[in-house]
Amino acid sequence: MITKLSHTTLFVLDQNKAYDFYVKTLGFKVHTDATMENGFRWLTITAPEQPELEIAILTPLNSFMYPDEEVRNAFKLLLEKGAMGGGVMYTPNCQATYEELKSKGVIFKSPPKDQFYGIEAVVTDGCGNWFSMTQPKDQ
Amino acid sequence: MNITPSVYRKIVAGKLYMDLNFHESIDLDSISRKACISRFHFHRLFTRTYNKTPHQYLTRKRITLACELLAEDGLSISEICNSVGFASIGSFSALFKKEIGIAPRGYRHIVWLKKEKARQSPVSFIPHCFIDSFTMSQ
Repeated sequence: MITKLSHTTLFVLDQNKAYDFYVKTLGFKVHTDATMENGFRWLTITAPEQPELEIAILTPLNSFMYPDEEVRNAFKLLLEKGAMGGGVMYTPNCQATYEELKSKGVIFKSPPKDQFYGIEAVVTDGCGNWFSMTQPKDQ
Repeated sequence: MNITPSVYRKIVAGKLYMDLNFHESIDLDSISRKACISRFHFHRLFTRTYNKTPHQYLTRKRITLACELLAEDGLSISEICNSVGFASIGSFSALFKKEIGIAPRGYRHIVWLKKEKARQSPVSFIPHCFIDSFTMSQ
């Protein structure tokens, strides 16, 4: 019986740049950062208040990860266009978080807007992904 | 009453000041001056925005840095206590245990054990499907 998700994967163009964004700018915590002998880096992070879910930050552009060049090129195109959607991030206050992240140079696709489910801004990680950043309706 | 974007920017200015200076002995007066709001309003608006008081937020920041420093070998626990902004080791240890659930010394030991395991067997941290899928023998 599956009871929960323990890991999820976020593909990025550059693991170092992603580390800077998620860990240094957003305040996510590093769970595991181990580099193998062949150079494969297993980097997982966790959200500040969600330590049980590991987010594996991986780059799909290495041949040992995806030997098929066509697959690697497809990932590269999607990431370079910023077309990969990473999901929804919860914030207790969308406007305040928006102001703070903007002051730190984070790029938003859209500022906070009232939606029927809450207040939502759309943020990019600079590594190929965009996220909804949402303050739910009853916050 | 809605908070305007310009007021949010002031609250954020105070928060960012705390983020940069939490290891110093800063107080609500200096923080609210940075935010250009009265201390009463800053306390009220900060608490409303972040669901914690400025003091609770500062404590959390200090404990988080303490965790990072405990994971390294360089500093003793009393040195860490001083460097993260606590005045006494007694209050630091009590607050640390309250926030993290374990005393600083115990936390340091657990982190050391995990590092040792990662050093001896880094592959043990990777789900096997990833090891099978990717050509690890290269």
